[in-house]
Amino acid sequence: MNIQFKKGVLELCVLSILEQKNCYGYELVNKISHSISVSEGTIYPLLSRLKKEGYVTTYLKESQEGPMRKYYKLTNTGQDVLAKLKREWYSFIKAVNHILKGSDIGEQGAIYTTI
Amino acid sequence: MNKAQYIQLFKEQLKGLPERDLEELIYDYEEHFTIGLSEGRSEAEIADSLGNPKTLAKEMKANYRISIVEETFTFNNFYRALFATIGLGFLNLLFILGPFIGIAVSLFAIFVSGIAIIGSGLFVIIASFLPMLFHNVPDPLLAIFVGLALGSLGGLWTIASWYLNKYFYLITIKYLKFNVKIISNRRMNND
Repeated sequence: MNIQFKKGVLELCVLSILEQKNCYGYELVNKISHSISVSEGTIYPLLSRLKKEGYVTTYLKESQEGPMRKYYKLTNTGQDVLAKLKREWYSFIKAVNHILKGSDIGEQGAIYTTI
Repeated sequence: MNKAQYIQLFKEQLKGLPERDLEELIYDYEEHFTIGLSEGRSEAEIADSLGNPKTLAKEMKANYRISIVEETFTFNNFYRALFATIGLGFLNLLFILGPFIGIAVSLFAIFVSGIAIIGSGLFVIIASFLPMLFHNVPDPLLAIFVGLALGSLGGLWTIASWYLNKYFYLITIKYLKFNVKIISNRRMNND
C-alpha cells in the first residue's frame, strides 16, 4: 500500500476495530500489524491522541493471566467521527476504482487502434 | 535492546512533555512488553517491532510542541516547536533556518519602523505646542496636521506589519507540521 495513505488510514482502522470490540493496546496493535506493516510503536501515540480528542476512553480490567490491562473503548464522539471517516473512505475508493476502470478501457482502446 | 533500555531512551527523549501524558505512554509501552513476554517473545524482539524509541519520542515531542504553539502563540513556544522539529533531523529545516531568521528579523524591523513613525507624529504634535523650545516650527496648525497624518500613517503601517508578522508565523507553523508528517511517513516506509 502507498505509504502516504497509511497514517490517515491507521486512525480509521483503530476506530473501526474498537467499534467491534473493546481492546487492550497489545491486542489492537496485533490486529493491525497482522494486515498492515507499521512499526508497532506508532499505535500508542495515536491512541493517546484519540483519547485526548475524546474519541476513545480507557478503563482498567483484570486479565486471566494476572496483571491489569488498559482497555480502549469508542465514545459517542468517536462513533460519529468513525462514521464520517468511513463515508470519506468509501467515496474515495469508489472514485479511485472509477478512474482505474476508466484507464483500463482507455488502454484497451489504444491497443485496438495500434493493431 | 532490552525493555529497560527501551523505556529509558524513551523517557530521556520525552522530557518536557506533561507528566501525565508521559506516564500514560510509558505505561502503554510497559504493558506491551509484559504481554509480549507472556506470549513467549523476547524483549529484543518486542523492542525491534515497536520501532526506534528515539525517533518515536522525537516525533511525539515535535507534535506536542507544535500543538502548544498552535494553542497559544508565544516566541518561547514557537522556538521550542521549531527546534523540536529540527531535532527530527530533517535537513530541509536547516536550509530554511537562514531565510527564516532573515525574514523574521526584517518583518520585525518593519513593525518597529511603524511604531517609530507613530512616535515621530506624536513628536511633531508636541513640538507644535512648545514654540519656545522648537523655534523652527513655522505654523503650529500645519504642524499638528502633519503630526496627525504621520501618526495615522504609522498606525496603518503598524497594523499591516502586525498581520504580516502573524501570517508569517502561522505559515511557518504549518510548514513545521508538514515536515513532521513527511518524516513520520518516511519512517513508516522504512519499516
